[in-house]
Amino acid sequence: MISTTIGETNTTPAVISPPENSNRREVLGLEMLIETPENVILTYQLAGPAKRYLAYIIDLAIRVALTLGMMIVVPMLGFVLPGTAMGVLLVLMFLNTWGYYTISEGFFKGQSIGKHICGIRVIRDGGYPITFWPALLRNLVRNADAIIFYGVGITSMLLTRRFQRLGDLVAGTVVIQERTLSLPRKPVILDKIQPLNKNEIGSFLPRDEVLSLIDEFIGRRHVLTYDRGHALAAVLANNLAERLNYSGDPKKLTQYPMAFLAAVYKTFSFSQQEEEQEFVSAYHLRNQTAEVNLE
Amino acid sequence: MNKHKFIEQRRPHWKQFEETLRNGSRSSLSKLPAEDISNFSQQLREVSHDLATIRSRGWGHDLISYLNDLVARGHNLFYSAPPTNFAGFYRYLAIDFPRLFRANFGYFLTACLLFFLPLGISWYVVQNNPSLANRVIPEELMARFDTMYGEESPLNSVEEKTDDQEETDSSEDTSFGSFGDQRATMAGFYINNNVGIALKCFALGILLGIGTVYTLLFNGIFLGAVSGYIVSQGNGDRFLSFVISHGSFELTAIAVAGGAGLMLGNALIHPGQRKRFESLQVRGLEAVQIAGGAAVMLVVAAFIEAFWSPSDIPNLVKYVVGSGLWLLVFLYLGLAGLQSDSRLVSVRNRERTRSHETDHSGKRQR
Repeated sequence: MISTTIGETNTTPAVISPPENSNRREVLGLEMLIETPENVILTYQLAGPAKRYLAYIIDLAIRVALTLGMMIVVPMLGFVLPGTAMGVLLVLMFLNTWGYYTISEGFFKGQSIGKHICGIRVIRDGGYPITFWPALLRNLVRNADAIIFYGVGITSMLLTRRFQRLGDLVAGTVVIQERTLSLPRKPVILDKIQPLNKNEIGSFLPRDEVLSLIDEFIGRRHVLTYDRGHALAAVLANNLAERLNYSGDPKKLTQYPMAFLAAVYKTFSFSQQEEEQEFVSAYHLRNQTAEVNLE
Repeated sequence: MNKHKFIEQRRPHWKQFEETLRNGSRSSLSKLPAEDISNFSQQLREVSHDLATIRSRGWGHDLISYLNDLVARGHNLFYSAPPTNFAGFYRYLAIDFPRLFRANFGYFLTACLLFFLPLGISWYVVQNNPSLANRVIPEELMARFDTMYGEESPLNSVEEKTDDQEETDSSEDTSFGSFGDQRATMAGFYINNNVGIALKCFALGILLGIGTVYTLLFNGIFLGAVSGYIVSQGNGDRFLSFVISHGSFELTAIAVAGGAGLMLGNALIHPGQRKRFESLQVRGLEAVQIAGGAAVMLVVAAFIEAFWSPSDIPNLVKYVVGSGLWLLVFLYLGLAGLQSDSRLVSVRNRERTRSHETDHSGKRQR
């Protein structure tokens, strides 16, 4: 009785949802997709309100410091022409109030100092770098966003998919998070793990995605505790064992699911596929040497 | 192809591309030799291709995000913003701004109505009934206006000869120096204050235009009341000769900025055939360029107000020059940028068809 209700509740949404979302993947989260002129989809990670608030605080501190600095330095320079010095000070204050963000974002690739420190950047929502006019626009509208201590801006950010405040909406800009590059680590090669015995498994071939998932999971295994890692691995391991018709030592599966996964990975990503794709890679190699010769 | 083989094969290329990116981001791409640029372009396409390959085969999230960032950086460098320069600034003031202004003339007229009409009414009312002035103007400000434009006004006491030169520091003459020196403070003040008001008036237009309408009405009523009060106290001649010159740029510019603000608000209220936010973006980019022109006009007005208007020159000359400045403003806004219309319009249309983005300068250089 219970099992059937669970089965029903589980299957109903699964049946309905695929036709809706099959050709268009709705990404919920911090990612923004952009198609480049090279016809490649790029994802940018959007910066959330918290990070942007931090950047704002840093910029605020810098602007206050700039104002204080000008108030000290300019009158000292103004012994000869105190009035002119005062006028210059007022103009500088004006620039500090109205121009700080526009100048820094418009001329320094979309980053004010605070944004630079926080590793975020303003870009056009088409993926292009920001230019002067959008920078001016988004920072003039900052005045409207700043009403009730940025209440308007924050509300707008929470209501839009890309965390855009009003200024961003008008200027067509988004704030993204910059990530630091790190070369992908070499795939884990598990010397001690033996591939599965071919007699113990059926003809099922796991997909590339599954193999990559195993690869990444094992690569990050040190993040998890021993028990938790095996517990997580067990879900996939059991599933795979069932599909593979695994008939080997069941202890391998129940006690060390992670090792089982590694064995699956080793079996399929090194032997079979390699044999199948042998001549394809040979073809690619030939192409490469041809390229080298041309160069 | 196997994932490992793919990575092994492509990894040196990626590293090389990373190196190029590091070099490229230090100096602008345009400074590199032509050979490097075409090389870079090829590398970008190759890495883009790798990314597409890996995505379609589902070879792991780490790899995708690494290549994604690589391509993103290359993309940013390759399609970077065109450099901004003074030629562009001149072009903007001489052609783009007056043109955009004329293209959106209706908003300006509406803003004029919202600004000059209450100004005129409150001027008329207060001049005929000065006791109403304290409803609008604070007491201490009224006292200041009395001394400013009264018999012992500083406007009369300035003895030094002056001209409408805008730079003060260049003058060695001490008598001019002290006059110019005082005035420079005022120039700074006018820039700080007036440009700030105009920009705010524009920016608040995003709130469905309500902020702009409020600012325009408020400033119109206030300025009208001040004018009416001062004229009613018998200081009309001194006051009018003072304001006529810079008023040309200042009052017009406030209406121009207000018009730009109304454009923002109206883009939200009447999006037309576009989506609401899309319409906001397209018209917002035009509106901000109009507001920028208003800001430049106000800077000009600030210098006139600081150095020319208070100077000791016969009132008749001030009236003549002031009228000339009004004419100049009308001619500038009405006629500047008309000369090469046909050629530039065709360029603009081409850009529009290429993409609906309205960032003209950005598109042209790409």
